[in-house]
Amino acid sequence: MPRSSKEIVKIQDVHKAYGKEDVLKGISMEVTEGEVVILVGPSGTGKSTLLRCINQLTVPDSGHVWVNGIELTDPSTDIDKARQHIGMVFQDFNLFNHLSALDNVMLGLTQVLKMDVEKAREKAMHELDRVGLCNKFMNYPGQLSGGQKQRVAIARSLAMEPIVMLFDEPTSALDPELIGEVLVVMKDLALGGMTMICVTHEIGFARDVSTRIVFMEHGDIVEEGSPKKMLNHPDLQRTKQFLGKISELH
Amino acid sequence: MSIIEYLLIAIPKIWTGLLITFKVSAICLLIGLLIGMPAALARVYGPKWLRWLVTGYIEILRGTPVLVQLFLIYYGLPQFGLTLSAFASAYLAIGMNSGAYQAEYFRGAIQAISSGQMMAARSIGLSRMQAIRHVIIPQAFRFAIPAWSNEVVAMIKISSIVYLIAVPEMLYVAKELMAKYYNPFQTYFTVGAVYLIVIGLLTVLLNALERKLTIPGLETVKRGS
Repeated sequence: MPRSSKEIVKIQDVHKAYGKEDVLKGISMEVTEGEVVILVGPSGTGKSTLLRCINQLTVPDSGHVWVNGIELTDPSTDIDKARQHIGMVFQDFNLFNHLSALDNVMLGLTQVLKMDVEKAREKAMHELDRVGLCNKFMNYPGQLSGGQKQRVAIARSLAMEPIVMLFDEPTSALDPELIGEVLVVMKDLALGGMTMICVTHEIGFARDVSTRIVFMEHGDIVEEGSPKKMLNHPDLQRTKQFLGKISELH
Repeated sequence: MSIIEYLLIAIPKIWTGLLITFKVSAICLLIGLLIGMPAALARVYGPKWLRWLVTGYIEILRGTPVLVQLFLIYYGLPQFGLTLSAFASAYLAIGMNSGAYQAEYFRGAIQAISSGQMMAARSIGLSRMQAIRHVIIPQAFRFAIPAWSNEVVAMIKISSIVYLIAVPEMLYVAKELMAKYYNPFQTYFTVGAVYLIVIGLLTVLLNALERKLTIPGLETVKRGS
């Protein structure tokens, strides 16, 4: 895997509170090109919030976020433009329910990138092919399985040629037998050099393709390191306990 | 005069009235739509002052009889030097009133759409306006069809009040026929039957439209929420 030290995502002292509850208590993190970072931790520890703070779907209360050198927390940044290049995949897929698989992938191409329809269709078909679904292009989300929906959602993000992909528990809403097909696509992406930040409890995936595991709890980063270190001999007992528990399950 | 003879005279006249009923209803529904959808969007996505303004509009128009609104426009405005024709008054009053109801139907439909739809749209770089236009509105229209069908049916009947300001729609024609032949039962029975048939046909048509516009997966969301 080609590895450079080009910084893709930089998060600096990000705070976020909902009411009285501090969800993020000053998170700092850097992700370089080609890295696959796994965020793990108990539910409610702010992993998803952190992910959304990166593309500003959730606006941090304080702190800074840069993606590809552009500060997204700067109010003068054109956030719509910046988001084009930050792919996001959601737990609930969030495919546009009124559009076919093809139109889901095409919408960003025609409306955001202003590509002409023929070109956009070609590109969208290529992306659907990449996730193994070009034969389902006419299907509406309601006619796809959960695994297929998530793959279309990945294709929809990939079509925008993102420089980083954010995965928010991409397999948590899937039946166990459908998880594999999504992980295969994610693995392909990782091996192809895509910079990825994934909130997931799929430890096998983390072991096989991640470059770093970040363990979060109560809005803080508790410990981080290579998958080898984190899964085999982490520094902290708490990390060992948590990762040990989810390793048994997955 | 036998009932057959009477109907032969009455039905052509009722037909001309029916066409005006259709015209008034269609124009008022359209005005209501043009007010209702933007008002609903403003109420869900607009800044606070706009939400208040729209809520005020909706509550005032739903909280007073449409007949009072019609009379205010037709009889009241001339006092300030603004005289509108009977037709214009009818369109304005009933259209604005329908707009308030339609705004509420569309608001319900918009709020039935999962918040993830907006998030996903924004995540690929669509602006808020683009997301509303390409993702929210198309789904909201489909969710709103059942409620909107009710509005169509209600409109056909509500439009009859404009006979009070001498718009020659169906009920006005009935009044004229009755004054001439003095047979209120036959006249109102016939007109009632025509309303029933027209609304029956419209209901069948609107149900067919609803089925035609159904998208797999979307209909379950609608019925479940």
